Amino acid sequence: MWKITRRGLLARKLRLALTALAIVLGVTFVTGTLVLTDTLNRTFDTLIGTAYQHVNFQIRGTAAFNNDTAAAANGTADRRPIPATIAAAIRRLPGVAYVDGSVEGYAQFVSDGNAIGGAGSALGFSFDPNRQLSSVRLVDGSAPSAADDVVMDKGTATKYHFQIGDRVRVLSGGSPRSFTITGIVTFGSADNLAGATLAGFALPTAQALFNTRGDYDTIDVLAKPGADNVGLQRAIASILPPGIQVVSGQTVASELSSAVSNALSFLSTALLVFALISLFVGAFTIFNTFSITVGQRTRELALLRVVGASRRQLFRSVLGEAALVGLVASLIGLGLGVLAAVALKALLGAFGVTLPSAPLVFEARTVVIALAVGVGVTVISAIGPARRAVRIAPVAALVAPREESGESLRRRVTIGGFAAAGGIGALVAGLTAPAILLVGLGAVAVFISAGLLAPIVARPMSRALGWPLAALVGTPGRLGRENSMRSPRRTAQTAAALMVGIALVSAVAVLGASLSQSAKANLESAVTANDIITGPSSGFSTSVAAAVSRIPGVSTVTNVYKGQFELGGSLSSLDGVTPADLRRTVHLAITAGSGAPALAVGRLLIDTTTASAKHLSVGSVVPVTFAQTGTTTIRIGGIFKANPLIGSYVVAAGFFLSHFHNPLPIAVLISTLPGAGHVERAINNYLSVYPNVGVQSRAQFEQSQQATVSQELGLIYVLLALAIIVALIGIVNTLMLSVFERTHELGLLRAVGMKRRQVRTMIRSEAVIIALFGAVIGVIIGTALGVALAASLKPQGITEVSIPSASLVGFVVLAALLGLAAASWPARRAAKLDVLAAIAVQ
Amino acid sequence: MRSLYLNRDRHEPERLASRLQWGPASPAARAVDLTKSYGAGDAVVRALDGVNVEFERGRFTAVMGSSGSGKSSLVHCLAGLDVPTSGRTFVGDQEIGRLDDAELTELRRDRIGFVFQSFNLVPTLSAAENITLALDLAGVRVDRAWFDQLVEALGIADRLSHRPSEMSGGQQQRVACARALILRPELIFADEPTGNLDSNSSAELLAFLRDAVTEHGQSIVMVTHDPRAAAYADRVVFLADGRVVGELASPTEDLVLTQMMKLGS
Repeated sequence: MWKITRRGLLARKLRLALTALAIVLGVTFVTGTLVLTDTLNRTFDTLIGTAYQHVNFQIRGTAAFNNDTAAAANGTADRRPIPATIAAAIRRLPGVAYVDGSVEGYAQFVSDGNAIGGAGSALGFSFDPNRQLSSVRLVDGSAPSAADDVVMDKGTATKYHFQIGDRVRVLSGGSPRSFTITGIVTFGSADNLAGATLAGFALPTAQALFNTRGDYDTIDVLAKPGADNVGLQRAIASILPPGIQVVSGQTVASELSSAVSNALSFLSTALLVFALISLFVGAFTIFNTFSITVGQRTRELALLRVVGASRRQLFRSVLGEAALVGLVASLIGLGLGVLAAVALKALLGAFGVTLPSAPLVFEARTVVIALAVGVGVTVISAIGPARRAVRIAPVAALVAPREESGESLRRRVTIGGFAAAGGIGALVAGLTAPAILLVGLGAVAVFISAGLLAPIVARPMSRALGWPLAALVGTPGRLGRENSMRSPRRTAQTAAALMVGIALVSAVAVLGASLSQSAKANLESAVTANDIITGPSSGFSTSVAAAVSRIPGVSTVTNVYKGQFELGGSLSSLDGVTPADLRRTVHLAITAGSGAPALAVGRLLIDTTTASAKHLSVGSVVPVTFAQTGTTTIRIGGIFKANPLIGSYVVAAGFFLSHFHNPLPIAVLISTLPGAGHVERAINNYLSVYPNVGVQSRAQFEQSQQATVSQELGLIYVLLALAIIVALIGIVNTLMLSVFERTHELGLLRAVGMKRRQVRTMIRSEAVIIALFGAVIGVIIGTALGVALAASLKPQGITEVSIPSASLVGFVVLAALLGLAAASWPARRAAKLDVLAAIAVQ
Repeated sequence: MRSLYLNRDRHEPERLASRLQWGPASPAARAVDLTKSYGAGDAVVRALDGVNVEFERGRFTAVMGSSGSGKSSLVHCLAGLDVPTSGRTFVGDQEIGRLDDAELTELRRDRIGFVFQSFNLVPTLSAAENITLALDLAGVRVDRAWFDQLVEALGIADRLSHRPSEMSGGQQQRVACARALILRPELIFADEPTGNLDSNSSAELLAFLRDAVTEHGQSIVMVTHDPRAAAYADRVVFLADGRVVGELASPTEDLVLTQMMKLGS
């Protein structure tokens, strides 16, 4: 039996190759994701390990918030500073070889008036000339010693042609300053720190820049060789004041490693979801291909039954075929996935993220997952067709095969109906809970039920969708329409794969449009400021506001601060604004209590969503914890309608500054005097020394918020494109199978005078109808899904549900064009058919 | 089945006249030194080995021979479905070896009718649509009167909206005949048209083809291995081993059988 399976595979290698391609792409995606993230993980682990390899102990402020890996990764941001006197005390302890107190902060180089590096990736720090504990190595020149000395990472120096002795402007929390480059540094063997630029200063300079005079962010300790490390750690701990802790170098390294791997696992999960989507679409394609081939082999399979093959043997034979195809496809996908990971890593390098050259990490787990997923999806998809194969009666070998007719639809309707009901139920439950897994399972069930039920509408829909084609291109178009109607199940199953892809794209489009529309509507009623200055998300110089306030025509200039705090045990984001300027910059729709007056007396404002979620009301007193000042309580003074510019929690800037050490504003809001006209130009002139920030009018700001939404949408579309490609492969495959199957008919058509061009038109018409069928159902399901998602996200700020009709129509048109493209090979194949051979095969 | 020409249309004389202009000197189709080989090297099979034959206009010619005699290859080459190894083939005055695929397709569409042994009809089209298929492909208007006359004569008027799967084998072959005749082609090739039919249906179909020749002057070349079918023809050409080995004018079933016996011995 196995021999028959294998021979059968070889005889149908072309059509199986196409089937396999769907699996190859999915497995490539899975493997590429796993290999890339494993490799990045290993690379960062190595990088972190290198950085802390000599550090025996680190002294740092206690992490204010529990279970917060983000804070751990941020390092100093949420820890209180350490008085310099502690370093001196530790230095006196026996067994201590070296003590290195350091500070870190934001410092960004400027080249030709442009800030170098993206936001948040410009690292400034104190560079100790005698530093034995850091991986930052001086490779050229000398360490910074004077107040205007700086060392620069080799990556930046090379890319922007800086040399030792050059002057360079540096942006930080204060006013921009110029420095002289005294040396070039590397991070271990890498030219920069995973894409972040490095600016090293003499300790006093760094303390001045980062506003930490007399304090350290961390103190690294090197023990003498042979010292009793346990005893030494205890000795250090004994002299530390409360709120300051000592941990081993390994602890710091592993905290950082786990923070990095958390961030990467988010990335890999997101990518794997898209990989699974394309495999799901691939499953439809495989199911369809095996269904068709089993149908075409009815006689052969019946003959096997006649000569004595058992049902079980036949079942195993079909599944064995699927398993083999899945295995070969998975192995190819595995290989291609590794190549994809290499390419992606190179792509990261092209974007300036230079990583130490490290070998690719190819875990056994990757192989297991890739093979399990690839073979699993193929075999599971083939179970249905295999069951049909064993139901073939032996007598079928003796009678002429019949064209697929209207088989019992009752079973199909019943199962499809149950799947649809279950899916919709799961979706509703998942969206109200909210539980993302339930939503996913519900969507899967809905798609499967649509695949099951689609054959019922395939004939009338193909007739309707094909009508314009038949009218436009005449007989070939009409024949194409007839072909798409002759086997509703085949048409529907082929279209189902595309349906899933288009449905997801449509759902994303609806969600995106709603998001964008809501953002617009909310922003329009949220901001009263005429102009808004934004910069790096880590904040920018406090002197920006001061500079802008001197511009004539500007009436109010106010900083907006943002920081993390803990309220009722959960980490949240807190905004600080100036109460006196509130009215002229931000529109807070107060629903209870008061706004600016409450802020002015040190109260907390929360938005309506938070109030209802946490059951808080005006007058409630809640405990809050700040990283640097510890726990205190605050009274709620007002509740406002959710505002996209301002977060869920707002306090007065004064209160904010007293609880956050040296915060940087993340935005500056500006209002102008009536009749002052547009002051952006003047502001821009003032801001030319701050190339890291930019000013936008209110309208521009609203636009750019929407642009961000469409950028994110674009990324999702790109990731969903793979699923669409897999669906198209399914269309190519089905058409090829149909062309093989209709050899006689094509021969006859050619014999009685159908031109090659007309044959091609006929096949293309069929493909366009199949694609349109899938796209129309996909858009309908996707729109419903998108509306449901958007509606369920109302508490998250999606207040408007918007259906982007133009985009949705565009998807249908695009699908028709893609169907046309998918038909090109089968159409050529059909047109090239040898007429004589076709009619001679009796 | 009623005779096709009981209700002859009034244009018939003109049409016949236009055909007669070609004159008896120009046959409907001919082959000159035609050879056709398949395979290569030692395995080469000469299906046609220097065939010279003419098929007269307005006559019903049967091509007979045992299987492997080359009768199908001959017809395929003459109809432009297959390319000869050497020699020349003509439909009317048109040498078809000089035509490219598009021209061959048009030749088949506009000037030749086909009736095959089986699989004559497109399963997705109704009988009526099958009959007018070639005209639709060419974008030519259907001559309604001629259409009605044909379906009436063939007794398929009440089957026009049926799909092939809803018709008997005999009905399907009659639809195929109608499809071949609707074009008023210069020549109809029929390849074992009764091969899959019972004797009653066969007789009806052959009588119809006979009528088309007698009363309308249609030229028909029919490949068959059935002496009873060949007896309907005006002339029988015998093929064996890729050569023309004999001819018979005004055949009867007995004459054909005798001739076959003679050739077989």
